[in-house]
Amino acid sequence: MTAPFSHLDLLEAEAIHIFREAAAQFRKPVLLYSIGKDSTVLLHIARKAFWPQKLPFPLLHIDTTWKFKDMIAFRDKTVRELNLELIIHTNEEGIERGINPYDHSPSVYTDVMKTQPLKAALDQHGFDAAFGGARRDEEGSRAKERIFSFRSPGHRWDPRRQRPEMWKLLNGRLGTGETVRVFPLSNWTEKDVWRYIAREGLYVVPLYFAADRPTIERNGQLLVLDDDRLPLESGEKAQMKQVRFRTLGCWPLTAAVASTATDIEAVVVETLAARTSERQGRLIDHDQAGAMERKKHEGYF
Amino acid sequence: MTALTAIRPAEPAPAPSQELNGILQLLTCGSVDDGKSTLIGRLLWDASDLYDDQRAMLERSGRNAGGTDNPDFSLLVDGLVAEREQGITIDIAWRYFDTAKRRFVIIDSPGHEQYTRNMASGASHADVAIMLVDARHGVKRQTRRHAAILDLVGVKRVILVVNKMDLADWSQERFRAIETDFRELALRFGFREVVAIPVCSVGGDNVARGSERMPWYNGPNLLDHLERIPARDTTPTGSFRLPVQTVLRDGVDFRGLAGTVTSGCVCIGDRITDALSGQSAHVLRIATMGRDLESAVQGQAVALQLDTDIDVARGAVLAVPGSLPTVATHISARLVWLWDTPFDERASYLLRTATDLVPISKLQIKSRLDLETLATQPAQTCELNEIAIADIALGRPVAIDAFGDNAATGSFLIVDAVTGATLAGGVVSSATAAGDTSAASTFRLTREILEKGLCRDLNDNKADRDEFQRRASEAALLLRAAGVPVKLET
Repeated sequence: MTAPFSHLDLLEAEAIHIFREAAAQFRKPVLLYSIGKDSTVLLHIARKAFWPQKLPFPLLHIDTTWKFKDMIAFRDKTVRELNLELIIHTNEEGIERGINPYDHSPSVYTDVMKTQPLKAALDQHGFDAAFGGARRDEEGSRAKERIFSFRSPGHRWDPRRQRPEMWKLLNGRLGTGETVRVFPLSNWTEKDVWRYIAREGLYVVPLYFAADRPTIERNGQLLVLDDDRLPLESGEKAQMKQVRFRTLGCWPLTAAVASTATDIEAVVVETLAARTSERQGRLIDHDQAGAMERKKHEGYF
Repeated sequence: MTALTAIRPAEPAPAPSQELNGILQLLTCGSVDDGKSTLIGRLLWDASDLYDDQRAMLERSGRNAGGTDNPDFSLLVDGLVAEREQGITIDIAWRYFDTAKRRFVIIDSPGHEQYTRNMASGASHADVAIMLVDARHGVKRQTRRHAAILDLVGVKRVILVVNKMDLADWSQERFRAIETDFRELALRFGFREVVAIPVCSVGGDNVARGSERMPWYNGPNLLDHLERIPARDTTPTGSFRLPVQTVLRDGVDFRGLAGTVTSGCVCIGDRITDALSGQSAHVLRIATMGRDLESAVQGQAVALQLDTDIDVARGAVLAVPGSLPTVATHISARLVWLWDTPFDERASYLLRTATDLVPISKLQIKSRLDLETLATQPAQTCELNEIAIADIALGRPVAIDAFGDNAATGSFLIVDAVTGATLAGGVVSSATAAGDTSAASTFRLTREILEKGLCRDLNDNKADRDEFQRRASEAALLLRAAGVPVKLET
């Protein structure tokens, strides 16, 4: 290799380094797989880090049952084709209680259907480390996140008790009851994720590409109807619009953007020229001031 | 609203090309009121690919920078709710922005003295540091303290930003006086380059453009200078080092020593040595998923397959014969204490190097650096935010370099063996080879011994040479498993 390193080469090498450190230092890691673009990059780099060995940890998906159907299909195809081990965990009790993303506030829904089952799954399987695709550029409280982010017993995040990280040295020695979240993509931006997907030729969920989809407009946001579970308010009527997603989550909580970017090159161009940050499309983050930071204290990823 | 529209850059930052030309990580440091967050906010506002909703957030806040019509740019930087309430930055924040030339990573570290640990950890990731000084106050105690920390963690390039020039009547004399003070201070440290720039962050003077109000200054503005500094890992420095992170196997015949090249480079066919065991082999393959490489340079994460399977595991540092790290049981070092639990001579500590974790048998504080006078004073204790000089005796040998020779393999963390907390970060001043002090207790398994006994049936051909190495490794492995320290010299 004679060409000088691009910034993507450096970011990839750093992420591989982090994966290898974590796999060597922790007893039982797991990769939190949320099917989106960040998870796609995370999984690809994990495979690079341990190639030609099989991935030395399973994937964990917290299924709220409100993911887009395309996401679930993509998840199952990925797992099958790459011969991966996948654990799917759903909060059945939450479903029995009828917790859903339209009757309940985003913070209640997220806590019951995402945060609680995540903690339960980590505890149930005894995972001491969980890889996640969070990036520091996503949101204010994440800008301060460590690569190895420690959680005290009960998975609580205390920003004042986080370990200083120096040079490239990663200290994963756990105290009693501690677990850790590991963020190999900490230093990536949304633009890097798309540039990398294009460069590596990775498959992503088709929802990231513009297509005609049944949409409604609610509170100034475009929602794509994935099935008929969401009760429509009077005057709301599904209209076909050419839209795509910049970020994917539970469909009633994830806003689409109007777009004509139907392939990866167009998405990269659109992302590089974007004028708004991606979390605009995440309704849970706007719930209340400092929403994400509060969720993190409670154990949200 | 109108003020904002007026000062918005006429043209957005140029669209970055698909792959940017490298990364530059920069640390900002200064005292509490020197206006760090405002400087960075201004830099983002003027030169970066900031999103509209981030710009709108600033508009909505309705807050103005003290006594001006300009918005409070610091809001772009300050993150955590707790901090905003206190009005100070309490932790390191990481910001990313692209210009047409490269990716910038801004490490924003706190100004408060009690958070020196954060500054030290932030600085350890920096390629260049911006030292911010208020034009009215000049070089302060805090400036000296920060310069000492930068030097300790290995920052080689410093930019002195003399801020709030508007409040010093745009005075060249004032700027030159501060610059002179700082250059005098800098002489005491090992900085490679010091550049001074007069700035008014709120007005944008010399941040991402020049300043009509300071026509006497004809040096680069901050952004120009930042774009000229060499990016990280663009030119390999030092001799080859690869700390082994893990050993990868495909279940058939592949056994790859996986790790990141932390300095220098390695090519197929190179003879490399594991300093800990003293064994050597040639590089057969440099493997990555998708394709093999002819060579690997500093910054690349690879897996090396060797022509003979030598007894190497996590913690080993691969290097070239003739330029090996020291296999040390004693090191003297400089430490910055990072945790609120002070040094306790009864506690049990571990030393974490690039990829090794070794019990410390004795940690002795010799002296402390007084950040006021920059003189060392004899001391036996050390606590949060203090810099100490210490002697460390290790429970077993570790492959390590002097920090000045090789930063990545010459730095370490001190870890609390019970809680796992990272107590201190340190740099190796000198390392003493295990043989120097414990030769008597280390068994030297030499080629001669093996040829006379275990391997006397072997001849000088490829198969037998491999078998020789295999037996040597196996013997060393068994001896070590039995608790005998072994140095394999084949």
